[in-house]
Amino acid sequence: MISILSTNITSPLGFTTEQNYRTVRSGVFALRRYEGLWGVPEPFTASLFSEEQRAALATPGYTFFEAIAIHSVREALSRVALDLASPRVIFILSTTKGNIGQSPTLAAQRIAEAVGITTKPIVVCNACVSGLSAQLLADRLLSAGLYDYAIVIGAEEQSAFIVSGFQSLKAVSDNPCRPFDIERIGLNPGEAAATIIFGPPASSSWTFVGGAAQNDAYHNISPSPRADGCILAILAAIHDWDMSLLATVCVHGTATLYNDQMESIAIQRTGLSDIPLSALKGYYGHTMGAAGVLETILTMCATDEGIVLSPKGFTELGVSGKVRISSGSCPNRGTSFLKLLSGFGGCNVAGLYAKDSRAPFGRSDCRPSIANCQVIKTHTVSITPQWATIDGQKLPVMETGKELLTEIYRKQIGNYPKFYKMDILTRLAFVASELLIKVVGEIGEEPAIILFNHSSSLAQDRKFLKNISNADNFFPSPSVFVYTLPNITTGEIAIRHHYQGETSFYILPEKDEILMQQILEATLNQGGACAAISGWVDAETDTSFECELSTYVTSKL
Amino acid sequence: MEQLINDLKLQIKEALNLEELTVEDFDENAPLFGEDGIGLDSIDILELIVLLEKQYGIRLSNPKEGKAIFQSVKTIAEYVQANRKK
Repeated sequence: MISILSTNITSPLGFTTEQNYRTVRSGVFALRRYEGLWGVPEPFTASLFSEEQRAALATPGYTFFEAIAIHSVREALSRVALDLASPRVIFILSTTKGNIGQSPTLAAQRIAEAVGITTKPIVVCNACVSGLSAQLLADRLLSAGLYDYAIVIGAEEQSAFIVSGFQSLKAVSDNPCRPFDIERIGLNPGEAAATIIFGPPASSSWTFVGGAAQNDAYHNISPSPRADGCILAILAAIHDWDMSLLATVCVHGTATLYNDQMESIAIQRTGLSDIPLSALKGYYGHTMGAAGVLETILTMCATDEGIVLSPKGFTELGVSGKVRISSGSCPNRGTSFLKLLSGFGGCNVAGLYAKDSRAPFGRSDCRPSIANCQVIKTHTVSITPQWATIDGQKLPVMETGKELLTEIYRKQIGNYPKFYKMDILTRLAFVASELLIKVVGEIGEEPAIILFNHSSSLAQDRKFLKNISNADNFFPSPSVFVYTLPNITTGEIAIRHHYQGETSFYILPEKDEILMQQILEATLNQGGACAAISGWVDAETDTSFECELSTYVTSKL
Repeated sequence: MEQLINDLKLQIKEALNLEELTVEDFDENAPLFGEDGIGLDSIDILELIVLLEKQYGIRLSNPKEGKAIFQSVKTIAEYVQANRKK
């Protein structure tokens, strides 16, 4: 449980939280229709910074993605006194694609340095749930006593890469999106940066009470029709919370057919049908890595004012689950809210927030503390382009590079043709995890899958860029695009073994064993998982990669 | 038609990375989706939509149209023959 000390939203609707909230309250939104922008042949509707706004936010020496992030962090920091040079301040960046063509950890380091943060940044790359995953990570690291303050920023800049990728998945609407509406046909991409600064619990501020992440283990781009992961995440986040205190459930509400339907099922099955929903994509579009942070801040503002924001674009209910949603803003006296996100790779996160001492704090005592469990490594698989080992014993292999992975798959795994559809990063993690599971047998109930690397999905990003670099041969491949999200790797392992535990992918400046162990321990102890597959999996190219994955179990001290 | 079916088999095998399926074993009447077929999924349907546009100039804006077209290689070939623009 940690407190929110300061916030900022930098978006096409304003450069401060207050400007954004006032604009949304007045019913204004930033969605516009674009034709031919960035050479994307199909029209689309998006929420993008104007040329004037881009000029105002531009920072010499930095990319625009970095500039909006720097602006957002600086503005949030201007409202709170922090010793940024302290080793007790952690910086967490949530983004799905960051600077296309570069590892997002480079942007994170540049943003951190620009504002004066000295600790190593962590990038959370869990597709659309990244913004909530980042807050969950902040809660765990602070609650474990590893840091005193966390600066969490979600940021996304739109581009031909993201827009054409989602268009290839038939997920983009060329008209303003309509969350939960019967006429909804897809999402609108959006760009923004949003920051929350977290600190120790304080009685009069908003508090991140707790959250949970669960995987559907169903499909990499389609949510479970039974809403398995979302339901598990909601139940774990709500725990024993008094539902009468909830002002709203701020849903993901992408306005895609399957997401909104899935969320309605989850809401009904978790007993939240009477809680008013808020859905904010009709104002900002889908701001991807920024969405979890931006929408949390706006929901805090609305709850402070005693209202539930109207879902822009909604007219007639178009989902089968029982939900309470109205076409206008409505009053509410609740002092807490639930935020939901779901994303590619099958991941779902729910976060619970509460305001001031009226909320019944103390429920986090029900969870094991960091000191109660020891995390024990049981087996390790290492793979390089030249060799592979299981617990130090070399596997007999003839091939090298990508072919080495195929050789191991054929000899040791087999019977999973989907292997050949995977990108190099996913093949690497898949082969390593299969070898581990073969050695271990049963890992444990619902193991978490927590992976780290430096290069994100750069090898696959380059492949997708080739798909869209020639205007006369512009054919974005949906299967190539899907694997440009590194957390798809964790989703593939979850789907293969039907693991519905937490899945997360973090990008670090380098292979930092201590930081990786801290994150893993905080995840297992506070996320409630009893076992995990975790480690480093990095692939720069088909011939340059490195993987060291281990199985872990927890033991009560 | 026979040539078109063979071309499609090669194109589908390459586009969907069907490494373990030889063109000889690729029955043009076999269902492409579901447990009785070769087990393609929703991302594969989207990839087949790209293939039709790239190779034959056929644009399908609604993936739901694909369900009838992508039942088997033979149904794809029939659709391509009737609608191809290149």
